[in-house]
Amino acid sequence: MQSLQPSRRKSISYAKYGYFFILPFFLVYAFFMLYPLINTFVLSFFGNGRANQDTFVGFQNFQYILAGGSRPAKAIHEEFILSMKNTIILWIGNFIPQIALSLLLAVWFTDAKLKIKGQGFFKVVMYMPNIITATSVCALFLSIFGNTKYGAVNSFMLSNNMISEAINFVTDETKSRVIVMFVQTWMWFGNTMILLMSGIMGINPSLFEAAAIDGANSGQIFFRITLPVLRPIFIYVLITSMIGGLQMFDIPYLFHEDVNTIRPSLQTVAVFIYKHFHATDPNYGYSAASSVILFFITSLLGSVTFAMNNSSKDKKKNKINRQQAKARKQLGGF
Amino acid sequence: MKNLKKTLAALSALALAGSMLTACGGTEEKTDSAAETTTAAAAEGGDAAETTAAAAEGGDAAAETTAAAEGETAAPAAGELTDDGDKLTIACWTGADLDNMIKMFCEEKGYSADQITWVQVGESGGEAAEQYEQYFKGDEDVDLFVAEADWILKYINMDEYAAPLSALGIEESAYGDAYPYTVAIGKDNNGVLKGASWQAAAGGYVYRTDLAEQYLGVKTPDEMQAAIGDWDKFQAAAATVKEASGGKTSMTATIGGLWQVFAANRNEPWVKDNALVLDNAADFVEMAKSMKDNGYVTGVSQWTPEWYAVGQDDSTMGYFYSTWCLTNAEGGQLYQAEGGPSGATYGKYNICVGPTNYFWGGSWLVPSTKCNNKTLAAEFVNFFTTDSAMMQKYAETYGDFVNNKPAMQAIVDAGTNKNDLLGGQDQFAVLIEAASGIKMEGLITEYDSAIKTNFIDSVNNYLDGSYEGTDATLEAFQDAVAATYPNLNW
Repeated sequence: MQSLQPSRRKSISYAKYGYFFILPFFLVYAFFMLYPLINTFVLSFFGNGRANQDTFVGFQNFQYILAGGSRPAKAIHEEFILSMKNTIILWIGNFIPQIALSLLLAVWFTDAKLKIKGQGFFKVVMYMPNIITATSVCALFLSIFGNTKYGAVNSFMLSNNMISEAINFVTDETKSRVIVMFVQTWMWFGNTMILLMSGIMGINPSLFEAAAIDGANSGQIFFRITLPVLRPIFIYVLITSMIGGLQMFDIPYLFHEDVNTIRPSLQTVAVFIYKHFHATDPNYGYSAASSVILFFITSLLGSVTFAMNNSSKDKKKNKINRQQAKARKQLGGF
Repeated sequence: MKNLKKTLAALSALALAGSMLTACGGTEEKTDSAAETTTAAAAEGGDAAETTAAAAEGGDAAAETTAAAEGETAAPAAGELTDDGDKLTIACWTGADLDNMIKMFCEEKGYSADQITWVQVGESGGEAAEQYEQYFKGDEDVDLFVAEADWILKYINMDEYAAPLSALGIEESAYGDAYPYTVAIGKDNNGVLKGASWQAAAGGYVYRTDLAEQYLGVKTPDEMQAAIGDWDKFQAAAATVKEASGGKTSMTATIGGLWQVFAANRNEPWVKDNALVLDNAADFVEMAKSMKDNGYVTGVSQWTPEWYAVGQDDSTMGYFYSTWCLTNAEGGQLYQAEGGPSGATYGKYNICVGPTNYFWGGSWLVPSTKCNNKTLAAEFVNFFTTDSAMMQKYAETYGDFVNNKPAMQAIVDAGTNKNDLLGGQDQFAVLIEAASGIKMEGLITEYDSAIKTNFIDSVNNYLDGSYEGTDATLEAFQDAVAATYPNLNW
């Protein structure tokens, strides 16, 4: 009996207690994330409207949204396509200036030669918009670009006789889109800049030194060293921004003055989902189906981008392998 | 020792999980108790049993209904309501109104305030319409709920949530003095009366007296009414005002206000035989466009701070306001438009009927199928919808236009009601005419709320330049309705 004691003690595993400690997370996850996720797929196969909420309709919602047909189907199809179009326009319009601006700033801030003073201050100031809630940001921009003569910009320009009539910043299709793009850029460029900076600072400084000694100018250093080495971070920023962009909701949804009126030119897919879900007479089927469609689009785009990154790496690897093989051959196959 | 460790680990894990879950559950409890405490304040003495007995002895309307309710139980009523609940619970989104009502009801009838409570479901009528269903599905107590004209049919057509008023012992014959349109709206698709309104929300055109005299040369509300008595005159007056003011003053503040007037004057319901009926929708689109293009509306949006600001800076001649906009309460719409007692235009407004009669809003009391305070609920409904003496008192105290013709007539005849916001004018004297001219029988559908929202959204988008022309606007509107209600076909 006594001899068994040590071996028994050895077999006691404390690992299982670890599971107890992480259990709360999984419970909460299953309850608040997993179940709604699965239920969304289930709901997408059920009908719309008060009478048909519990009717199984198969792929009808998807067919309506993606293909159109009779009047209700055509209406929902056109609305969805418009929402998709809006999403893409708003995403591109904020992603390009955002990435350009943050890349430029990231390079400047990390450049050893420039030695910008007060870097910490600038970083904090530029990151700040991201900390403010979207609601406050939107309220701010709505009061700056108010539609009527009471809006700050309109009021200023009218009183200085720069314009004769108030400009419709909020209700005009192009102007409202541009403002939303600007707000999105302004809110997110700080975040992207920090990400890119951490990427650039991870590059071995000896590469920059070597390039400088070889007489490369800053343009060459940027395009030949910084950008290629930054590629993985770049892909990451692209994917996260794409997912965020496809789910863009807060600013477009909030940017209107009337209590109820969501601008058709700002209605993104996420707003579309919300609108049909959150109504006096909700259409859960449409909301769920379009969520599922959005989910598949996001996964598809994400994997394409990811695959692009990987395949080019493979190509490079293959190239190196081939070169090595060639070298080995030349050296007489040692 | 080993077991202790195990227990400890399990306990701490549980505590962690528990704290996470209670964080979510806690807020709900908080709102409930907050709602209760607000009404439980100012608890007046008086045993429940005693007061009921006293009321029965007095032989007033309440006693009669109790008797009627007892007689009713013999008949196979559609919804069997019980009388064993502890508290009368009213679901609503207008807690402040309910506070006033409960206070007065308790004072008059001798109940203690903690016997009646309200729960706030949503912040606006629209939110309530959306959230009631969830609330009713839950375990919470609800005896009566408040509904709005636009979506009352959604709920009273659901027999699982709404009980007929006859289950409380209140028959349709009790509403002979009510405005007929409110009774028509309170009936479900089978003609069963399920809701009773305590308000008749007639509206009128509220205008600036000083600007009207300056630009239109009118001195009294009657002259003003003669100047804008129909839509053609209204547009002509708008043109005069615009010109005389040098383009500074518009006739009305928003398209939204105009729309309320138009929406109450349709010839056909929005939905007939499962199809959308446009009726005079095109007329409104065209009128809205021309008024916007000519600058007869200010261009501000309804419910925004600017909407109130134009009431003080001569940008608008007036507003289309319903009776509940005219109360002296601080949050009242006219109160805000005048900027309060120190505002630039305080008391400089008058009211007239305007181009046509209309109503805007209104609140119906509907018994819930979960009602377990039958007697008290019946007494409460009767107090505010059939008891003309009490309704008159309520109108005099809170400035609400109650749904009882003799009561309102008595107030107007007495001539005691003077509204400071209107420079001492009695708004009831004007609105009583407007209210009697409202005809909504058969024109209300369960789809109205969403359809009307879709319509005004489409019109607003048209005026902002999103669509080309009236046809495109109506097309967009029909698409929006089709997207909201896939079961409609036309």
